[in-house]
Amino acid sequence: MSAGGSASPVRVALPRGDLRGPVDAHLRDVDFVVEGYGSGARTYRFEVERRPGIAVRVFSDQDIPIQVALGHYDLGIASRTWIDELLVKHHLDSVVPLRQIDVAGEDLVAAGAPGTTLAEVASAGAVRVATEYPNLAQHYLAHARVPDYRLFEVWAQAEAWPPQDAEMAVATRRAADKEGLEVYGEVHRGGVWLIANREALARRDLSAALEPLLRIPLAPEAGGLVAPPPLEAATRRLASPPPEREVFRIAVPDGHAQRHTVAALADAGISFPGYAEDSAQRYPDSGLDDVQVKVMRPQDMPRAVALGQIDLALTGRDWLRAFLATFPAAPVVELCDLKRSKYLLGAVVTEDLPVATIDEAVAYWRRDDPEYPIRVASEYVSLADEYARSRHLGKYRVIPISGASEGFVPEDAEILIEGTETGTTLRANRLTMIDVIMESTNCAIGAATRPAGRRGDLRDDFVARMATAAAATTAG
Amino acid sequence: MPDRGLRSHGMRDLGPADMAEFRRVERAFLDVTAVAGFREVRTPAIEPLHLYSASGTLSPQALDRVYSFLDWDGWSGERVVLRPDTTVAVARWYGDLRDPGVERVSYAQPVFRFAAEGDREVWQFGVELFGAASDVADAELLTLAQAFLDALGLADVTCEVAHAGLARAAFAAAGLSTREQLAAYDRMLEGDASVTAELAATHPEAAAAIRLLAEIDGSSAGYIANLRAAMPAVIGGAEPALDDLDRAVRALDEAGVPYRILSGTARNFEYYTGVTFRFLSGGQTVLVGGRYDRLSETLGGPDAPGCGWAANALTLVQASAADRDAS
Repeated sequence: MSAGGSASPVRVALPRGDLRGPVDAHLRDVDFVVEGYGSGARTYRFEVERRPGIAVRVFSDQDIPIQVALGHYDLGIASRTWIDELLVKHHLDSVVPLRQIDVAGEDLVAAGAPGTTLAEVASAGAVRVATEYPNLAQHYLAHARVPDYRLFEVWAQAEAWPPQDAEMAVATRRAADKEGLEVYGEVHRGGVWLIANREALARRDLSAALEPLLRIPLAPEAGGLVAPPPLEAATRRLASPPPEREVFRIAVPDGHAQRHTVAALADAGISFPGYAEDSAQRYPDSGLDDVQVKVMRPQDMPRAVALGQIDLALTGRDWLRAFLATFPAAPVVELCDLKRSKYLLGAVVTEDLPVATIDEAVAYWRRDDPEYPIRVASEYVSLADEYARSRHLGKYRVIPISGASEGFVPEDAEILIEGTETGTTLRANRLTMIDVIMESTNCAIGAATRPAGRRGDLRDDFVARMATAAAATTAG
Repeated sequence: MPDRGLRSHGMRDLGPADMAEFRRVERAFLDVTAVAGFREVRTPAIEPLHLYSASGTLSPQALDRVYSFLDWDGWSGERVVLRPDTTVAVARWYGDLRDPGVERVSYAQPVFRFAAEGDREVWQFGVELFGAASDVADAELLTLAQAFLDALGLADVTCEVAHAGLARAAFAAAGLSTREQLAAYDRMLEGDASVTAELAATHPEAAAAIRLLAEIDGSSAGYIANLRAAMPAVIGGAEPALDDLDRAVRALDEAGVPYRILSGTARNFEYYTGVTFRFLSGGQTVLVGGRYDRLSETLGGPDAPGCGWAANALTLVQASAADRDAS
């Protein structure tokens, strides 16, 4: 089969985010001009000037190796960290790293509290490790022969977990240094790579895109995975239970949910200096000696509560439900509905689909092939899986994604499990929600068992004030 | 039978005829081992990952291919694993006993390991012997393995035997760190002759001993006598290993099993500390085992010696059926 004709374009996946600028500059230098890509146009699909037969799609950096591995895209440019995060676990030979290009990448390190060593923390009991890169972290820990560890897969800011909430973080060297952590060792030497799908390289004529992309200046290969020297002295030891915590700990969100949370707190007469609509310190001021406030991603809050690290967290009900879909026995519950940031979470499909229900949609997709695997893309992997099971989709694949979600349907997935507040973004991308899974608002969550003593009293007080304010807001 | 793509990669069905053969081999295994005093145990399919991640259990390369995941209650970050190896699980069980002494146990159960090609669920018939000293236990297990393979009527059975401590002692004498020893051991098993040359260059006084160990396959107790002449003076810690190997080889001589003495037989299992062995039938490996004296203690159990072997059940079923057809 030959590309370049009218049948099937060469598909190229390019990264958004920080890599967009330097990658775009190189593409222009090799006359691979993707107009709108470098300027951050809010579209996901592009053509290449004067190069017909090439289709470009923009993804989050971490989604590109998966898309190339699946064969949805023939070529891609992505950080080596995300490439190896996929390959070290799944041993895929469908992704072929071709060459490292001259774009700066991030190195990953293992780091912990200042003044500590890996041997010390590994010998003291189970090592709690926070990371966005669980597979690379596991590779490091296995090779370092850390006898016992717990991996916390977090959405962001892993470096903020040690020393209080984890002994170690696997994070970028830049983030670990900025946080003042002690670097134990290198986990991965980064870089940005041009990658290809093996089958496509073997069978399809990709030269129209491959030739210019291979002219992007090289960088010396950084080395990728690092196998650390094994610890000689670390022995298995049962950790002693931590002393009962006296400080009451509250988690508040950053990102999109911050504005709504600041307003909900204000309605309840609560203010944390350093936590405002437009700025957030990591530890805003609680105003009380025995209350600590920590800013973290709402996605990571249910786990922090289940682990007993946080007493009260303000997050979205969607993230609580997604967590409980993965870990149904986790001891975390909703304490009150803040009734803000309301939106619907559901199954999104292209509005061009000539159907009205999800059952009709499934029948439509399988009209020619009853075994056709339905692709369900979502940031909410466990909810997507739960949805596919509960709607009896039969043979399906859940494709984990980390952003740029509206661009997946219909080319790269049949269904997107996504939230929408007004539907405007969906309509702009010719998408429609065909099935509602849940209505989500932000809420306060806490441990299933009320803490004893002062922490329990503080929890009751905060929850009562926020519940009263939420009721007044709704009534008003 | 056509493959409709509904079965997971690396998994296989056993139909009624396959199961009849499987049960025949399993009965032979259980009968032979029961007569020898081994009692059957079964361990869970899911175990904590950390059982296998400590140094002295599985190698990092083996850990990269286990089926590990977060259980439904895994919010604490503790991963579990589909049992990748039964010896470690039985060692954990042994450590859980209230009054562990000498335990002879057998098992018939699968292990799960990722493989790009071939089976990912591997059924094993195996035995473990905890608490018995090496001077009799190695010979007992070698003899038991031979009796099991005899009961199946397998033709052309040979054995390869080695001692994990010999190569390690040689590497340590050459100044290699633990990590370098493991890497050199793997290279040696892969037939990389340059390892010997490198060691001989950096440690010339031990060159003859290293070459004898790495480049010559022994076929009688005489080879061990030659090693004894070359090694102890220049490689500390070799003497007890040579004693173990000598006893194992004499047991094989008594059982009438042809053998080769190699520098190593088992990869990716860091728990082996003593004699290791591999039985072949028609050139195909059917059973592997060895001594692991520190495994129980590594897992927080008693300091008890141990040894065992495991046979690939389906390989045996096929080999046994083929031999029966041929006869």
